[in-house]
Amino acid sequence: MQDPHRTAPESAGPSPVSTAQADLSPAPTLPADLQEGLGWAALGMAILVMALGMDRLADQGVAPYASPGLVPGLLGAIMLLFGCLLTLRVWRAGRATERTAKGSIQGTGADGPRVAPVRRRADLRPGRLALVIGLCLTFDIVLVGHGLPFWVAASVFVSVSILVLQHPERQAAGRRTDARAVIVAALSGLGAGAIATLVFQRLFLVHLP
Amino acid sequence: MLAGLADLGHAYLAILNPASLLFGLGGALTGIIVGCLPGLSATLCIALLTTLTVKLQANDAILILVCSYVGTLYGGSRSAILLNIPGTAANAASCADGHALALRGEAGRAIGIATSGAFSGVLFGVLCLATLTPVLARVALSFGSYEFFWLALFGVTMSGRIVGDDPLKGWLMGLLGLFVAQIGQDGLYAHDRFTFGLEQLSGGIALIPALIGAFGFSEILTTLADPAAGAKVELRDSVLPRFREVVQYWQTSLRSGAVGVLTGLLPGVGEDAGAWMAYGAARLFSREREQFGRGSIDGLMAAETGDMASIPGHLIPCLALGVPGSAPSAVLMAAMIIHGIQPGPMLMIQHHQFIFDVVAMTSLAMCSILVFGLFLVRPLLHVLRVPRSVLMPIIFLLCTIGTYANASRLFDIYTMLAVGIGAFFLRRRGYQMAPFVLGLVLGGLLDKSLRRGLVLSGGSLAPFVTRPISAALALVILLTVLLQVPAVNAALLGLVRRRKVRPGQ
Repeated sequence: MQDPHRTAPESAGPSPVSTAQADLSPAPTLPADLQEGLGWAALGMAILVMALGMDRLADQGVAPYASPGLVPGLLGAIMLLFGCLLTLRVWRAGRATERTAKGSIQGTGADGPRVAPVRRRADLRPGRLALVIGLCLTFDIVLVGHGLPFWVAASVFVSVSILVLQHPERQAAGRRTDARAVIVAALSGLGAGAIATLVFQRLFLVHLP
Repeated sequence: MLAGLADLGHAYLAILNPASLLFGLGGALTGIIVGCLPGLSATLCIALLTTLTVKLQANDAILILVCSYVGTLYGGSRSAILLNIPGTAANAASCADGHALALRGEAGRAIGIATSGAFSGVLFGVLCLATLTPVLARVALSFGSYEFFWLALFGVTMSGRIVGDDPLKGWLMGLLGLFVAQIGQDGLYAHDRFTFGLEQLSGGIALIPALIGAFGFSEILTTLADPAAGAKVELRDSVLPRFREVVQYWQTSLRSGAVGVLTGLLPGVGEDAGAWMAYGAARLFSREREQFGRGSIDGLMAAETGDMASIPGHLIPCLALGVPGSAPSAVLMAAMIIHGIQPGPMLMIQHHQFIFDVVAMTSLAMCSILVFGLFLVRPLLHVLRVPRSVLMPIIFLLCTIGTYANASRLFDIYTMLAVGIGAFFLRRRGYQMAPFVLGLVLGGLLDKSLRRGLVLSGGSLAPFVTRPISAALALVILLTVLLQVPAVNAALLGLVRRRKVRPGQ
């Protein structure tokens, strides 16, 4: 399966579209898009309120137009506006979709308004994603920075990650995770941990957690 | 003029020593390897190498970073041609024609064309970098707070407009970046903003952890959560470019180089825009238009020349104005600051020679990709065969080290994790990271320039719109935003159509 963020467009036009070449189809993501717009608007509102409540340093003789909350306040206000625009756009697209659907049922679909296609969320494997996030968080929050030597933490993380991530691939290929696979993963982890520690700490004098 | 040439000559002589050549070649090779691997971007490569090279001399460190920048974008064409997966976003335009040629058994020929296109693109860009940067830097010396405010806003607006396919989402990301840059002590009175009593937030959100999170961790999540199937990599023919083809497409090279540099000059637009614009222009002028997307040499040459020419193009505003042209150049700019070199108008006065040093570094990078591109093709193919499940945990290890190494704070690691997870979900929803990064970089400049400008003018907004450069920038920003309003867009289109009809009536 190809990375959804890295797909080349089929049309050869001069589109500057870069990393997100997701499918464009009228899929039912309107509620999610609506939540998105409302989320931005809420964030903008929160920033605006906090900026308005910020100390204006008037007791230090700072003019209101130079107060620390000025720029964040402006940013919050624009974010609120854009969030509302996004919400409005999604809401209007939703209404237009409804009207088109109704029109096509009644035989008047051809005259209905043209609806911009809505982005469809690319396929995602939630289980695997949770696993990857869990592995990374465990390494950075639990293993690193709490007294365990970095090379040990790194070796454990790399070995376990290789084993766990390769397990479904092996299963799909009809193979078992045998002792050889465990040894290869452990050696890879040990090698990565030792080399990273030696290169960064000894050669480049970088402080490791 | 003569003084400039002497400085340039001095810069070239300065890098012609074994140590610099080794650093340059090493940086380019690292970049090519990273670029070959889909999912690892130029931004991540430069961010990781920044922390690795922090103890080196400034010029040696920047040399490695510039060479890795050029190398990564060049290396990305390998996977685009052989796997139909662009190594970096900038190589997406090379996929269609490059992979079509590979499917016809002409992968070597496609790699040769990509190499010659990349070389000519960087060469054209280097010439522009050498000539335009000092001129622009001199003009920028007359800039004040008013111009810098608009320039910062211009960068975020253009980035949001051009990157991705939804300007509203692009601008929201730009606003988010600008807001995140406001966290911590403000630049004028050192007043804590949005720190919620957390001492670690007083210093603000550091750029390197945020970038590694946005481009590194989120890519790791993308790649591992949705692993690509192993692809067969075949290379049968020679990778040496055919002289006849290189000469035959000189117009494409020249045009794409110009398009790439011009695109690069726009702040925050990214190398991928350079590639697509050059590809589009080539298609417009090509005699073999129907071949585009089906293995056109013209198309592949244009795409590779365009994205590579935009690298020096991005460095021009970065050095002269202190406004990075793309996400990788934003990291490069941060690295320069870490090494005590402040890009911007004062660079011409404080580190005048450095501009020419960067020209020489980019030239060395250009020669490096030619050497590795022609003579190290088959060993590099092995990199493409490394399973993602082995590679990505190691990359995450490097992300952790890179994040921590700069300031030795665990808080930076947590920042990287938070930004990475957020970026992953935002990207899934069609939000681009480039405007966010540009907002993060330019947020401080925008804040200080606006408030300083208002203090200087006694609270009047007039200088922001009456000074010529300020007025021009303000007008462009206003038009860019207004053109997204359907009613304004329709009215303007109607006006243009009426004008077209009138002369013929």
